[in-house]
Amino acid sequence: MKPLASDHPFQILLAVVLAVAALLAVSMVTPLGISAYLANAIGQLAAFAVLALALDLIWGYLGILSLGHGLFFGIGGYVVAMHLLRHSSEVTGRVPDFMQFMGWSSYPFYWAGLDFFPYALLVAAVVTVLISGVFGYVSFRSRVDGVYFAIITQALVYVAMLLMFRNDTGFGGNNGMTGFLVLFGWPIGGSGVVIAMAVVSVLLLAAVLLGCRLLLGSNFGVLMIATRDDEVRLRTLGYETLRLKLAVWCLSALIAALAGMLYVPQVGIINPRLLSPELSLEIAVWVAIGGRGHLIGAVIGAMSVNALKFWLSAAAPELWPFILSGLIVLVVLVFPNGLVDLAKLKLTRPMGIKRLASEPELR
Amino acid sequence: MRRLFLILLFLSAAVGSSTAAELDRAELIDRLCGDAAALGEAGRSLMGVAAEGSTADRAWAAPIARAMMDRKLTCDGAGAVAITADGSRDALSGAPRTAAESGRSPLLSLKNRSVFEMADAALALRSSSDLGRRAAALRTLERQAVTLPELLFESAAAEESDPVLRAQISAVAEAAALNSVDPAKRIAALQRIAATPDRRALAKVGPLTKDPAYAADPAFKGAVDATVRKIERGIKIGDVLATLYNGLSFASILFMAAIGLAVIFGLMGVINLAQGELIMIGAYATWLVQEALQRFAPALTEYYLIIAAPVAFLVTATIGIALEAVLLRHLYRRPLMSLLATWAVSLFLINIVRVTFGTQNLNLVTPFYVTGGVPVIGDFIFTWNRMFAIAFAAVTLGLTWSLIRLTPLGLNIRAVTQNRTMAGCIGIPVRRVDMLAFGLGSGLAGLAGLALAPIYSVNPQMGQNFIIDSFMVVVLGGVGTIVGTVVAALGIGQVNVLIEPLWGAVAAKVIVLLMIIAFLQWRPEGLFAIKGRRK
Amino acid sequence: MAVALLIDAVTVEFGSFRAIDGLSLAIDFGEVRAVIGPNGAGKTTMLDVASGITRAKQGRVIFDDAIDITRSSESDIARAGVRRKFQKPSIFEGLDVRQHIAIGAQGGLRRTLSSYALAQRVDDVLAEVGLADLALRPASELAHGQKQWLEIGMVLASQPKVLMLDEPVAGLTDEETERTVALVRKLRRPDRAIVVVEHDMDFVEQIADRVTALHEGRTLFEGSMQDARADARVVEVYLGR
Repeated sequence: MKPLASDHPFQILLAVVLAVAALLAVSMVTPLGISAYLANAIGQLAAFAVLALALDLIWGYLGILSLGHGLFFGIGGYVVAMHLLRHSSEVTGRVPDFMQFMGWSSYPFYWAGLDFFPYALLVAAVVTVLISGVFGYVSFRSRVDGVYFAIITQALVYVAMLLMFRNDTGFGGNNGMTGFLVLFGWPIGGSGVVIAMAVVSVLLLAAVLLGCRLLLGSNFGVLMIATRDDEVRLRTLGYETLRLKLAVWCLSALIAALAGMLYVPQVGIINPRLLSPELSLEIAVWVAIGGRGHLIGAVIGAMSVNALKFWLSAAAPELWPFILSGLIVLVVLVFPNGLVDLAKLKLTRPMGIKRLASEPELR
Repeated sequence: MRRLFLILLFLSAAVGSSTAAELDRAELIDRLCGDAAALGEAGRSLMGVAAEGSTADRAWAAPIARAMMDRKLTCDGAGAVAITADGSRDALSGAPRTAAESGRSPLLSLKNRSVFEMADAALALRSSSDLGRRAAALRTLERQAVTLPELLFESAAAEESDPVLRAQISAVAEAAALNSVDPAKRIAALQRIAATPDRRALAKVGPLTKDPAYAADPAFKGAVDATVRKIERGIKIGDVLATLYNGLSFASILFMAAIGLAVIFGLMGVINLAQGELIMIGAYATWLVQEALQRFAPALTEYYLIIAAPVAFLVTATIGIALEAVLLRHLYRRPLMSLLATWAVSLFLINIVRVTFGTQNLNLVTPFYVTGGVPVIGDFIFTWNRMFAIAFAAVTLGLTWSLIRLTPLGLNIRAVTQNRTMAGCIGIPVRRVDMLAFGLGSGLAGLAGLALAPIYSVNPQMGQNFIIDSFMVVVLGGVGTIVGTVVAALGIGQVNVLIEPLWGAVAAKVIVLLMIIAFLQWRPEGLFAIKGRRK
Repeated sequence: MAVALLIDAVTVEFGSFRAIDGLSLAIDFGEVRAVIGPNGAGKTTMLDVASGITRAKQGRVIFDDAIDITRSSESDIARAGVRRKFQKPSIFEGLDVRQHIAIGAQGGLRRTLSSYALAQRVDDVLAEVGLADLALRPASELAHGQKQWLEIGMVLASQPKVLMLDEPVAGLTDEETERTVALVRKLRRPDRAIVVVEHDMDFVEQIADRVTALHEGRTLFEGSMQDARADARVVEVYLGR
């Protein structure tokens, strides 16, 4: 990894992200033609980009593919939804609809205190670290990795989805949670709040991007790459890779939870479909399309795929699955490093497609 | 309680006495046209006819009873006229005639109505030629079986031609005997009931502990207690067997879904996320075969499940071979990318099927050989549809095992699974083996789809329901072992079936997953891993 | 002289296959021991047991006369001072040469060296294995022989007490082999034991003090290379005529 000072592509990306944040912020006071709708879309894309960074951190730089990152995204989303609902209850004076359907007139105990935002943050973090920590510890300890790890994480998110589909858990069941009214006291639908949420999302994207870059540039980042390339070699050099993997795994889970916390207030709903194995697989697809093992790739992949999805879901919804599967096959067969390959192809190294495809890939 | 008992006693005694006499048809008609008490007497006479009258009397009485129920019997000066299916006829002689204008149709009181309802049903049970009508009559009679003469059921059962209905008649008679006034009869009935120990039997016998005779008669009490014990034991055994059987059939499905996955994973280290969709394609191929048979050879339609087997296998095997040749061939050293690639295929297959056939569930005929079942013990019924799945899985297991163990291709597959490089060095066409093995694994998924077709709903999404369970089978069983797949499928199948009734299906999935993760702590390579040195 | 590495009646099984069968071996400090034998004799498995990658079914492995490392983890064994180069050059594709040596020198998640001492150590090792000019090259761009040296350098950088080299000259040119001979000779120290598994008998003859020949998981012969060449059984199962 190049030193940050000479890593121009990264600097450009960071500058662009910050510029978008600034642009959005300015548009809150002077109209720049950025509608609340567009700002909301950008904010959601930023949340997805943060989620993609979380996955790229462990897949691209640690060699661990999780097909269950939707779980941590969901934890963040559910906790923030609970926080928002508690405040909405203060406005309406009633518990949410789904609780009324269950015949509950007050919140169950585990909803207590979530109206206090720092506590909600703490709960999201603790739950995420607890689940990712225990699962990561038992998996890494027994040296479960590769395809095994991927499908067990997929089973994990699937089971979580089934749990959340139950109506008696107090998390909204099948219909999930919606009807958020206020965010920190402001009406959540107002265009100012919408744009502000987008600004916060984009700024946090920049922060996560920078944080990941600094981590990867450190000695710790060097050890992450060493773990990815040959874990046994690193262990027989005296490194306890279990701890290293566990630390990065939990960090990645936390970033995914943060993405969920950014995403849910912007779409205004959370339901168990967020925990479907398909979404978790899609995260991996964004990263693969953008370019695994490149922070830029994760951001660009998540943004471009989702922008395309937003657009096509409106224009030609039937077409989207076919285009997505076509894109995956194209990336997997022709551009193993995703759009990053495409960029290299044009900009720096003029080499044939065949050559790219046969290049050894990250394990 | 006691009063009711006495009334019942009186009623049955009355029925008994009125049937003893030879039937006087004219007197009966008189009573039908008489007052409420006479009407009641007439109803009991009709019941007597049904129980022990001659065939001719029964044939004569049946339309009369029906006409009374429908208020289609009119009394006039010349006797009575009944409007029956054959038209308007004199009730006594059966000669066609219409009632006089001044005629009056007797109206049944609520109490008498139930007497006539029973008589009508009893006569229908004995003499109707329509099976549906007889079955309906039995259902009516069942409600007051205890008040009816035992002879009625005995004769009806003896004459009944339909085996199912005969069994039902005996069951009703048995229940009636159980509540008989004669303790010896009751005990005999108890012993007969104990012969088929299930929850229905328990429901019949259970309330007897509250019967006055239970407290009064030690012999009766002993008989009831013994019967309850015997039934409860039978139910327990039946429940255990039923759980095992359900588990076995679920395991068969899991095995069918996972075996193809395990072969491919063992060989190439690739988990085929499109395996569920290959199952779905197999089910669709089965449906297409059924449709084709319906159009071109309707006589064979019932056998579509058997005829479709080679079709489902070949269709999915072809897709698998194409998949391997076009896509996975390039991804052997990149197993994680192959996960994404096969997911893309799964997405494609789901949507292409959705666009072509629509999202609705397909209608598949349930052939005779997968309908019904044989009751064994307790509430355990040996159902043929589950048996079909089990037998199908067993045959698949046998064929797969033979293929892997006994054929040259199988030898090559095992060689490549154990050491790809070495196998290549000694001249095994590794790429060809990969392709054929992928075809085999995919074809097995197609067969799984066929086995599922008559049991589960067939739609584009159906594959998704099995895929994660079958992953777990592969993870638990270990890489590329048939034995591992069988044992893991049996284990997961049984655990699921054991937990489901206790805490529900979701909890079963959660617990199975946790158990697998815990298990991997102990044996990270799965149950039957091929161990070796790090390469 | 103290025993650096004692392998005591170790048995390893893979399923029903017995890769090592009650093998005992004692390697002293200050010595270079070559382990030879045909493929499948159990040489690499023996190193796997000593480095904690494979668990012994029976027997013990004792380091430095006192420390039982039979059940220790790979990283604990490495930190204790027993390090090993793999048969297939194992390097980190995504890192440069210098980073490799630094990882080896640091030898654990906890920092043991100051930045200055670390840089010093890395420079020394780079010079020792002859890769100083390539310090900032990505390791994936190195030639096969350079990868072998890089891995030796990585293992060496923590100054291990027991150094195990699995086929250090496999696939090397004669000139590269010569350089490796010189390197191994330089590495020999009174407080270090070196175990070399190798098929190149000329190389073994040049570096080894003693030779152990394995066959089917058992010791067939132990002594000098000269005696090994004369031993009928070693000739029979391995060296050939």
